[in-house]
Amino acid sequence: MSARQAGWAAAGVLAAAVAVAGCGSKPAPSTATPPAPAPPPLATSFASTAGSSWAVVEMGGSAAQEEDFWQLFVLPAGTAKWKLATPLGVADNGGLVVASPGGESLVTGFRPSQLLAYSPLAASSDDGASWSSAGPVNSGLTSAPDALAAGPGGSLIALTSGGAELGQRLGASWTRLSSTRSLAATQAGRACGVSALTGAAFTSSGTPILAASCSRPGVAGIFADRGGSWSAAGPAVPASLDHQDVGVLRLTAAGPGLIALLQAGKNIVAAWYDGTRWTVSAPLHAATLKSTAIGPGGSVGVILNGSHGATLAGPGAAWHVLPALPKWAATLALGSSGQVDAIAANGGTFTDWRLAPAGWSLAQTVHVAIPYGSSS
Amino acid sequence: MNSGLNDDNATLVAAFRSALLHQGIYVLLVFAVLAVAWVSAREWLRPARSSRPAGPEPAWRQLLRIGFGIIWILDGLLQAQPAMAAGLPSQVIEPTAASSPTWVQHVVNWAGTSWSYHPIQAGASAVWIQLGIGVWLIAGARGRWSRLGGLASVAWGLVVWVFGESFGGIFAPGLTWLFGAPGAALFYCAAGALIALPERTWHSPRLGRAVLSVMGLFFIGMAVLQAWPGRGFWQGTLHGHQGTLTSMVGSMASTPQPSVFAGWVSSFGSFSAAHGFAVNLFAVVALAAIGAGLLSAGLPEVGLRAPAPWLIKGTVVAMLVLCLADWVLIEDFGFFGGLGTDPNSMIPMALVVLAGYLALSPAPALAPAAEPATTAAQPATANAEPATTAAQPAAAAQPAWRTQPARLARAFGAASTRVVLAAWAVAIVLIGAAPMALAQTNRNADPIIAQAIDGNAAPLDFKAPAFTLTDQNGRQVSLASLRGKVLLLTFLDPVCTNDCPEIAQEFRGADQVLGASARRVELVAIVANPLYHAIAYTRAFDVQERMTGVPNWLYLTGSLAQLEQVWKNYAIAAQILPAGGMIAHTDVAYVIDASGHTRTELDFDPGPGTASSESSFSVELTQAAEQVMKSS
Repeated sequence: MSARQAGWAAAGVLAAAVAVAGCGSKPAPSTATPPAPAPPPLATSFASTAGSSWAVVEMGGSAAQEEDFWQLFVLPAGTAKWKLATPLGVADNGGLVVASPGGESLVTGFRPSQLLAYSPLAASSDDGASWSSAGPVNSGLTSAPDALAAGPGGSLIALTSGGAELGQRLGASWTRLSSTRSLAATQAGRACGVSALTGAAFTSSGTPILAASCSRPGVAGIFADRGGSWSAAGPAVPASLDHQDVGVLRLTAAGPGLIALLQAGKNIVAAWYDGTRWTVSAPLHAATLKSTAIGPGGSVGVILNGSHGATLAGPGAAWHVLPALPKWAATLALGSSGQVDAIAANGGTFTDWRLAPAGWSLAQTVHVAIPYGSSS
Repeated sequence: MNSGLNDDNATLVAAFRSALLHQGIYVLLVFAVLAVAWVSAREWLRPARSSRPAGPEPAWRQLLRIGFGIIWILDGLLQAQPAMAAGLPSQVIEPTAASSPTWVQHVVNWAGTSWSYHPIQAGASAVWIQLGIGVWLIAGARGRWSRLGGLASVAWGLVVWVFGESFGGIFAPGLTWLFGAPGAALFYCAAGALIALPERTWHSPRLGRAVLSVMGLFFIGMAVLQAWPGRGFWQGTLHGHQGTLTSMVGSMASTPQPSVFAGWVSSFGSFSAAHGFAVNLFAVVALAAIGAGLLSAGLPEVGLRAPAPWLIKGTVVAMLVLCLADWVLIEDFGFFGGLGTDPNSMIPMALVVLAGYLALSPAPALAPAAEPATTAAQPATANAEPATTAAQPAAAAQPAWRTQPARLARAFGAASTRVVLAAWAVAIVLIGAAPMALAQTNRNADPIIAQAIDGNAAPLDFKAPAFTLTDQNGRQVSLASLRGKVLLLTFLDPVCTNDCPEIAQEFRGADQVLGASARRVELVAIVANPLYHAIAYTRAFDVQERMTGVPNWLYLTGSLAQLEQVWKNYAIAAQILPAGGMIAHTDVAYVIDASGHTRTELDFDPGPGTASSESSFSVELTQAAEQVMKSS
């Protein structure tokens, strides 16, 4: 080997070492466009037409996902105490999704977890005092608070990875209402650039409505099924936000109309549909949401990342920023008389904090026997 | 509920010990047979022995051969630790690959899965193969046997490097010399390759120069890697978290070991956290300097003047000190914790460098290239020539097998002690490898895994309680209607999130293992959930578990009253847990014979739910069904 060859060999080895070192170095920052806004976590609360309040929170506090179980609480109309109303018989460590057909009825869907790949359903007609099993959704409900919608006459929409499934009544077989791809292929879908289904609802007349994230800026992806064809049914996004990608975070029935929460860039906007037209709130600056709450009269509450919260009393009202929330606050719960509660969950302890003029005051504590170890 | 499978599971440990004991007896038996045969051949056949002088084996080769022979024996003994059979794939092989690219994980996990399907055979084979190679290297000083021992070290070293060390972690982001890159087993391969070199290469200083130059380049490459920014080695702590080296040392200190060693490692971890930059600077400079010093040994090969001997000697001594410090303070000796498989890379690396240094000034050859094993036999054959020649007419009339054994026996009698020991070592390797090779031909896992999780099957003999329920297609099915078939019966919750889907897959697996016999077997599950027992749920479960295509699968349900009666008759508990817990129910399987008698009860908690445990339960179920079919 000549000196020249030896030099080249040494350089080769060094280059290889440098290349190997490169394998372990930090990747360059991504310049890809940010993903479309995704639905918020499943923690939520809402008010039924019978005046009861419901809250869905995750409890357990374990680092292991399968050791954290979701709980459903109800505050029956005319009472002052929350009660545990989690339906039994299925591990709910994948999450709970609820839909209210009206009155004291509620349908709860179990998101799949571990080796369970489909979603069992449970139904109650007495404010959660008793439950019965209802026919399952044959694939898993997606992780969105509005992945299950209940309409008049017992009809249901379930959002799954395959698309939106329609059940004419509890326990009946499911038929495909639409898939992401087929919705995206419609004229309205193309105008939006549908990228994912994020929620479902029924209008008071029973028209199925689907919500989606749009890849076209300034379009709110809300679609109505008008006799088998899908048409755009969302609100116009405020001009100040029409250059942003818009995601529909929430879509649910509220009284005779609908209520939607939209995310446009780092702004949250609420929109109310009264059956004829949409009313849109002023934007609230918020990058991400920790939870959302829908109260009576179209009131809205959100918990932002950190310990901040805000409420909206209803159409035409302005955002009201709340005092710093109590520790472990999981969701807000809004009462009919303007009362605001913060529901906190820490380990097996559920705490209801009520907003008073002097700040948050402890209203109730419920201890829940978390079934640690039952799913491992 | 999932009971898991511990590394120190008593059933597996006992079976592992038993396998080692049995194979150990064979090893001793082979030794005894070889010894008796050899002594007998020498006494009765009195073969002539070689008197030709052989040149001395160079010191560098002796160092490598004996050094790596001892290391292989140590590795073999470490493989005999009780936790190895069950723990090696999940605690060593797969975690080692966890930070490597996906393709590496696929390759490594394939080996881990193969091991976990037959843990006893695999564990024992690793013990004997490594002990055998160790004995082989130590015994075979010269000749063909010795060189073959080197090649065996290369071959098994590669297996260990690829599958046991995930290619020495060279594709993982945290690659560093300090923690053993590029893997100890690669040095076993290098040493084996050097041992396998023909004798004509032994006495040239070029070999030593080549070894030191390659190691020099390696050290320089490792210095560059160590100095590369952005890998976390320059910081003792980073944003409140431990730097890469501190974190690695911390994890080593937590290995179960004598407290004095843990204390040393822990103290170095604290020092590294406080002075991360200085520690890394020292490591980079030391690696680069040693690399340059070793590389300089090759200068005469490119026409330049050789460096002063003291420079090379000093570099080698510095390297030995650095390796020793790293071995104690960072690698933490490598073999503690019950699952340590070798003393890590520093000792093998030091041996290779030291051998290279010794090879710079080899002893002169005293004799022409001689292969004692072969040569020893040669004179015997030569001496025997007249006899053979005299026997020619008879031999011509007889088949070869009548004459060959005598020649072989004479050659064997003429062999040296070392050659006989090397032959024994080869037998040790084969005794270890054969059962594993045989096990690998079976694609189903060993049933001992299922027995380790749930114990042995319990024999029963009573009339199976009757039931009439509804199958997943809405048809009425009674126990009486299934008479004539062997039933594998279990109880499953259709909305269960862990055990029940696994049990269903184990039943499906049993159906496949049964093959044609499956026609005589009915796989029956009965719902074990008092709240979710509608047919819609048994159907959803069947779709989820791909049971719809299994023709002899029945998933039965009924009213709550019907189910409760069946649960009571078969001693099944189905407890509703509060607050989002799933139903806690008994995991059990019964084997009911063709006449309706319950013959076997198997605890059926599926354990960790790995591919090997699922397969093992399938095999256990199949064997139980086959036993009942045979006896009925």
